[in-house]
Amino acid sequence: MPDMVGAKEIRMRMGDGSLTWMTKEEVRADVEAGMNDAVDCAQVPALTEDDLSRIVEIMCEKGRTVSVEPGEEVILTQDGGEMKLLNDNGSSSPALEMSRTAAIQVHERALGMDTFEIAYMDPSTKNVKPVIGMEMAHCQNVMYNTVIPMLYMFMPNIGLYYKPTGPYGNPPDLMREFKIDEAMAEGEGAMNAMRDDIIFIGEKLLSTGIDGLDFDTTASGGDLDFVGSLQAVEELRKTYPDADVQMGMSAESVLGISGMVEYKGMLAAGLYPHEQVKLAEAAGVSTFGPVVNTNSSRSTAWNVARSVTMVKECSRVSTIPLQVNMGMGVGGTPMFETPPIDAVTRADKCMIEVAHVDGL
Amino acid sequence: MSDIKQELIDAMVAVKLPGIIDAVNKADAAGMPATDIIDAMSAGMTEVGVLFQKGRLFLPHVLSAAAGMNKAMEILGPKLAAGGDAGKKLGTAVMGTVEGDVHDIGKSICSTMLQCAGFEVHDLGRDVPTQKFIDEIKGGCNFCGMSALMTTTMTVMKTIIDITRDEGYRDKVTMMVGGAPITQIYCDKIGADIYGETANETTDKAKAIAGDA
Repeated sequence: MPDMVGAKEIRMRMGDGSLTWMTKEEVRADVEAGMNDAVDCAQVPALTEDDLSRIVEIMCEKGRTVSVEPGEEVILTQDGGEMKLLNDNGSSSPALEMSRTAAIQVHERALGMDTFEIAYMDPSTKNVKPVIGMEMAHCQNVMYNTVIPMLYMFMPNIGLYYKPTGPYGNPPDLMREFKIDEAMAEGEGAMNAMRDDIIFIGEKLLSTGIDGLDFDTTASGGDLDFVGSLQAVEELRKTYPDADVQMGMSAESVLGISGMVEYKGMLAAGLYPHEQVKLAEAAGVSTFGPVVNTNSSRSTAWNVARSVTMVKECSRVSTIPLQVNMGMGVGGTPMFETPPIDAVTRADKCMIEVAHVDGL
Repeated sequence: MSDIKQELIDAMVAVKLPGIIDAVNKADAAGMPATDIIDAMSAGMTEVGVLFQKGRLFLPHVLSAAAGMNKAMEILGPKLAAGGDAGKKLGTAVMGTVEGDVHDIGKSICSTMLQCAGFEVHDLGRDVPTQKFIDEIKGGCNFCGMSALMTTTMTVMKTIIDITRDEGYRDKVTMMVGGAPITQIYCDKIGADIYGETANETTDKAKAIAGDA
């Protein structure tokens, strides 16, 4: 509808999924601004002129969806396990009546997933621990009935180890009372408890013969969450050196809840994807999932360029495959419960062609 | 005197409590007015906030600087009292993650920044029942900060704002909203007063409104 929108003929999504119209020059300006923000925040190199032009081209393509050329496809997995088909989230998820195993078979045989992550309905470490026997039996049953690689997904989620859901004091609450030393001690106590639980459930799950583990939304509770997870991977590696261990992050920068906790001599707080991946490699992670947050007030062009800039540097320095997080609110994808497919496919294509990731 | 002012700012940015106290005592001994000392420290605190925003400083560092600020208020209290400006509170804020949502790190950081800026903060935590926000507002909180990380829970913010309007409290409270799915457009749409993309931005806007009140 060019006559309605004048020169603004490029259909563009904002970071909250709403629709807007832009000129090609405005798209280019947003792409440059997004890249510059990434350079400033993460201290990574700028994209090349070729990269910038390619992102602008992809963002300005006319079709509703875009795709990569044959042969350029990457490995796909998904988030949320079998619950994606079984749940009813109000305005998303179909709430299908079927077993967990059947839902996984649908993902494998009907939806064409390359890998799958089995997940409990409340998949935090602390919640999986009391049902670990049931989950082990489920893993074995799934493996009898499927062919594609099976990972078991859980979220480290140190938050559940703090009061009111856990025994340890909440560091931000204690800090507001200026009990900084106590906050540090409680945080480290929670980190150790979470690490021990990850090792416990990780060993049990891998003993069933599944192909690997997927640490989801790692560092959601900041640096203590990240370091505890890295320590757990390092420990699991001693017993299961050949297991596939994926680590997906929760945010582009590791929040400094402690501000002092280190892993292998490096301060964990404030690390960006290209720095996070080096610690993941050192711990023994097989595949890393960088995250770049979407700004819901900016355009998809701005967000995609910003994400690609950070992930491209992560890809350059990484010695392990990258399976970048490209869902709601990350990787340039709009922060919307059912992200618009035009924005999703453009973000995916840019990430594959410019940041050279191995999977989504 | 400008060197002493810079020393106060530098001490705040260094976020070491003994260093901050030394700088305050030195400025006091040099005859710097108590209000000027607090102003310089506030400038330092602003710089700390910027470095926190950039990921160069972290929550414990912000708290160390805030502890230094509190200590300075103790040291300078009598002189500030003589000037009639002691213990001035910018406002009372109820803060919480709305009902159905358990993501509270961003909200906790915002609570800390507001407290450091001079607000009394009643942080109710996460998954806070709507009525608790209303009770706090009825109890005298003149700022209300609501956080949500999910598109399915952000609508609770509008419910709370509507209740304050229906019960006649809306003009007594500044409603603040934040969280990943929230935008300025959504803030305007539901009739909130402040949208903050970051904890710093929310704090700056709250301070501006408190200053105008």
